[in-house]
Amino acid sequence: MTRLPPQPGEVIDRSRPVDFTWNGRAMSGFAGDTIASALTAGGVRVVSRSMKYRRPRGYMSNDYWDPNGLVQVGDDPNVRSAHRLIEPDMAVEAQNVWPSLEHDLRAVTGLASRFLTAGFYYKTFMRPMWLWPTYEKVLSTFSPGGRIDLDTPHRYHDKRYTHPDVVVAGGGPAGMAAALAAAEAGAMVLLVEHGHRLGGHLLWGDDHDRTLAAELAAAVEAAGVEVLVDSTVTGRYEDNWTAIVQRNHPVAVERLIKARAKILVAAPGLIERPYVFDGNDKPGVMLSGAVRRFVNMHAVRPGSNAVVFTANSDGDAAAADLKRAGAKVTVVDARRGEGIVRALGGSKSVRAVELADGRRLDCDLLVTAAGWTAPTSLLNMACDRPVYDEATARFFPSVPIGNVLATGGLAGDGSPDELIDHARATGRLAAARARAVSHRLQAATARARPVDGEAPGWPPDIRPALPRVPHPALFRSTTHGVVDFSEDVSSKDMVGAATEGYDSVELLKRYTTATMGPSQGKLETVNTVAVLAEARGQTIAEVGTTVWRPPYAPVTMGALGGRLFEPQRVSSIHPWHQANGATFMLAGQWIRPDHYGDPAGEVRNTRQNVGIMDVTPLGKLDLRGPDVPKLLSHLYTNKWMKLAVGSVRYGIMCAEDGVILDDGVTGRLGDQHYMMTTTSSGAATVWEWAENWLQTEHPDWRVHVTPVTSGYTSINVAGPESRTLMRRLAGDVDLDPEAFRYMQVRTATVAGIRDCFMWRIGFTGELSFELHVPAGHGLAVWEALLEAGEDLGVRPFGVEAQRIMRLEKGHFIVGQDTDGLTKAPAVGLRHLIKLDKHDFAGKPELAWALEDPSAPVLVAIQPTHHGRVVPDEAAQIVRPGTNEIIGRITSSRMSPSLHRPVCLGQVLPEVSDPGTELTVVMLDGRRITARVMEHHAHFDPDGVRVRG
Amino acid sequence: MLIVPCPNCGPRNAADLRYVGESRPRPDPNSASAKEWRAYLYERANPAGLLRETWYCRSGCRRYFTLERDTVTNEFTNPPTPVAKLGKRP
Amino acid sequence: MLTSTRTECGSVAELPAFESPVSRSFVSDAGASMEPRRPGAALTLHDVSVTTKIIVRAGPETVAGHQMDTPFGASRTEDGALVVGQRPDEWIILGPAAASRALIDGLDRSGHVSVIDHTHSRALFRLTGDEAASVLEKLCSLDWNDHMTPDGAAVSASVAKVTCDIVRNDLDGTRSYLISCDRSYGQYLFDAILDARHEFGVGAPADAAG
Repeated sequence: MTRLPPQPGEVIDRSRPVDFTWNGRAMSGFAGDTIASALTAGGVRVVSRSMKYRRPRGYMSNDYWDPNGLVQVGDDPNVRSAHRLIEPDMAVEAQNVWPSLEHDLRAVTGLASRFLTAGFYYKTFMRPMWLWPTYEKVLSTFSPGGRIDLDTPHRYHDKRYTHPDVVVAGGGPAGMAAALAAAEAGAMVLLVEHGHRLGGHLLWGDDHDRTLAAELAAAVEAAGVEVLVDSTVTGRYEDNWTAIVQRNHPVAVERLIKARAKILVAAPGLIERPYVFDGNDKPGVMLSGAVRRFVNMHAVRPGSNAVVFTANSDGDAAAADLKRAGAKVTVVDARRGEGIVRALGGSKSVRAVELADGRRLDCDLLVTAAGWTAPTSLLNMACDRPVYDEATARFFPSVPIGNVLATGGLAGDGSPDELIDHARATGRLAAARARAVSHRLQAATARARPVDGEAPGWPPDIRPALPRVPHPALFRSTTHGVVDFSEDVSSKDMVGAATEGYDSVELLKRYTTATMGPSQGKLETVNTVAVLAEARGQTIAEVGTTVWRPPYAPVTMGALGGRLFEPQRVSSIHPWHQANGATFMLAGQWIRPDHYGDPAGEVRNTRQNVGIMDVTPLGKLDLRGPDVPKLLSHLYTNKWMKLAVGSVRYGIMCAEDGVILDDGVTGRLGDQHYMMTTTSSGAATVWEWAENWLQTEHPDWRVHVTPVTSGYTSINVAGPESRTLMRRLAGDVDLDPEAFRYMQVRTATVAGIRDCFMWRIGFTGELSFELHVPAGHGLAVWEALLEAGEDLGVRPFGVEAQRIMRLEKGHFIVGQDTDGLTKAPAVGLRHLIKLDKHDFAGKPELAWALEDPSAPVLVAIQPTHHGRVVPDEAAQIVRPGTNEIIGRITSSRMSPSLHRPVCLGQVLPEVSDPGTELTVVMLDGRRITARVMEHHAHFDPDGVRVRG
Repeated sequence: MLIVPCPNCGPRNAADLRYVGESRPRPDPNSASAKEWRAYLYERANPAGLLRETWYCRSGCRRYFTLERDTVTNEFTNPPTPVAKLGKRP
Repeated sequence: MLTSTRTECGSVAELPAFESPVSRSFVSDAGASMEPRRPGAALTLHDVSVTTKIIVRAGPETVAGHQMDTPFGASRTEDGALVVGQRPDEWIILGPAAASRALIDGLDRSGHVSVIDHTHSRALFRLTGDEAASVLEKLCSLDWNDHMTPDGAAVSASVAKVTCDIVRNDLDGTRSYLISCDRSYGQYLFDAILDARHEFGVGAPADAAG
């Protein structure tokens, strides 16, 4: 055990032991321990195997970014064990080890080193291609990442939108001071901290540091700042649209917050950079910050015989911490020209280090403090291109960005007071700029409270620059070592890749995959650049760096998915459908009865007696105004100027390219009042289409378009007995065939419900009345129809029966029998295209299409033999004896009325004449013959029934 | 996400609107050649720079409007104009 | 989970002021109240779809447009009805049937003016409570802070991916929103709002049966 006696800054609660398992073995820690600290306290050194070479790895940075610390926790893969806190009975396992963490056989096969060198994705496993299935199996065993359990129950993820004045990314001293100053200046502030508590590096510092952290945290809370810990600002997008993943939500597993930050303050601090040398990935080689977190926050001593290679005060502090913790410590000081060359040791741990002067020191812990990387990600996302500063050996922001301000380590160095002064000035500037943004937003927004006074000017950035403390440039020793620990890429690989010609940093990155692993470049980007610069004999500034893009830290799919919003629409009759055995289908967002158990029976009953169908999803647009006929004439291809009150007419609409957009009937209810119906799926499109013409090309037309689809429950009453049934319920309308003719509309009181309207049309081919009832009464009228028509044999029918009946009648469905290339002349309604109108949507294309001899046409088709075989929808029609496609089946069903299969299909014009024999290729490859029919209607081609 | 200045509602998330595309005049349907009509249907200038484009405020005021955007910086340079106020374009 | 059995509208009895022609509600759990977790943080969601809803469309050149006297994005109360400037040149009058009838009868219909009864077309919910804005934040991307959506503000926006008309209409100083959507989405939206309340209230609605 290496647990230390109580430390002044420890965050563990020794009164609350927590038991968990590591690869099935019982382990114990305390509340507040991370998995990493508990494992290290329990003597565990090897926690993972490297991705390609399967080398044993231990904790290196001991923070969220630790590339060696990804573990499986229960069914949760890729958990960052140096961040995740332990919980009782947590089952923690090493990931992707075979057969075990201690003995990964792939490490000794030699396979890895032979084939997985830089660029292996592009070089090996390519030829011969027929071996690819084998390659894939081999490679998949090397893929990083944990186990995905497909039986994992759905977990509740959440989403939130918020509009703070200032979002501060980073809860260290600078972030806290900036948030505090902004809040004191009146801003609404959201402070987001990656770790489990505010404080940043002060948390693993000395007494003075911790006191400062506590004071700032208390002040932040008192100032009303909204604080999110264990949360990460993962991206900054256009206009400061900021993505925050909140991991500590009380209800949800995770919550994705989309914050529209008026000003974003980037205060992520600095990330300690690993040093590249031979053996730098051996367990026991750690960064100084890792050691300080272990010792000071979790009271864990990660080694007893330490060598500390240091170039800065943090390394010195780590050495002091280790001494205080009782370890033997030898300091190798880079500032005095001392250096390390290689780490030596076995598979479980570092055992010695070889120095530049040839000395060899035994150790079980090798600590490096080689410098810092500035995680400028959020600035990159705002189009900054940071530049390299040689004196401090790190990158700095280069371009002032109005709504993203950097402070803390990104902006410079200095004493704690200087840094906090800078952060406070940043907070005040952020608040002032947020006020200016807010004023503009409020003034421009119709609904907002009126603004007082003049718009404030844009506050200039007059913050004094922070000093920069020189730091030795330490990237690589004289030996080669690992640069990207996540992707297992060494400096030798990179030099090789550069030699092969991949010598720009963006190319090198993609070729070697360096910086593309779970650490997202936080640890390895600058070393990558430095190694490349060295290989090319250039400076780091000349090589430049890669662009950091979102996400700042990897995001789970669950967080991105958030709460699932899948709107569903139902009609007012839906409860009845549910209670009466309907099988539902999803049509767009509508939930509709597909059938009530026997679609063919529903067809027969409707053809013989009377059926009723809920057709509420039918799009309905209320059109009012003196210029409605002009609008209709423009939208439809046929003529509308002389439609009489009480009449309805069918029309097809085309887009400007002549392709059929929608179809339906429109009736004239009053002098300046029309009702348009659209297809169920086309309602929204047609509305926007109509508004487009009214608002852009014809603003002088006086028409009001109002969607009323859901305002009316629509019921189709169809069948030979439908008139008898309607007479019983709509007594105020003269239903005599001569008084209320086919293609007419009447307003009516139905079953005592006023303000209904109905039209005589017939998609099913039967005598039918389409009722439109104010929706609140829809269910009442539906039930009244069933009751009143009981002796007539009334039964409901669903979408499937309707589809069969319309196919028997040869009525096409837009989107089913037409597609994105089908122009109006193709569907057999050439007479509905009136080119003598002055203008209508798509007119020129339709004029040309009418002359086009090559466009496919829609025809009715019936199989000629194998009489019971129903062709598959989408089956191809080919030229006999060949595979040349000359058409396809678009709709196909067995007709209960004709006892034979009936189809619609699109075919080339040369095979569209009635009687032409066609060859249809079924989905299983069988070929059947079929014939082009004379009429689209297979059933009642003369339309006797519908006009009855 | 881009903020689009709707002339009626004020600044709105781009997701609240439908991007109609480059604003372009509709040729006279009775005299346009096939080349002219297809240019209207399919050809876009797609400049790296200032672009006059049409948006539809689908979730808000339900009005079409045009504005000028710099496609390089995403800055909207001119105040938006309700399309109707432009009248018929040449 | 909430029951999916639909019931006769329970909220009619709770809102005797409305004499609506809507005979049946389509939302289960109509009038659900949510038990507050924190004292004073009561959060309630009521189905008030029975409210009469009249759309008035009138251009700026019409007398009716002037009579509405409510700019786009605002709302005002007149004779017990709420007049909402929902879109440019378009108003929605919400209220008891009797009150809105008087308002409509008094409209000058000269010129291009359309008056459409939208009562049956739209579902309407009232979300009330100090945390009401926090619930909306989970469903809608608009800014619900006081300066951007003060009492009286009228907006249209996507709520849980359904386009809704929303009016901030505080009740006795308590934050309250009237949220309306296409009737067919009513049940879905009601359930989505209930689900969003999880972190602000506990348990199933006490009076789910209405």
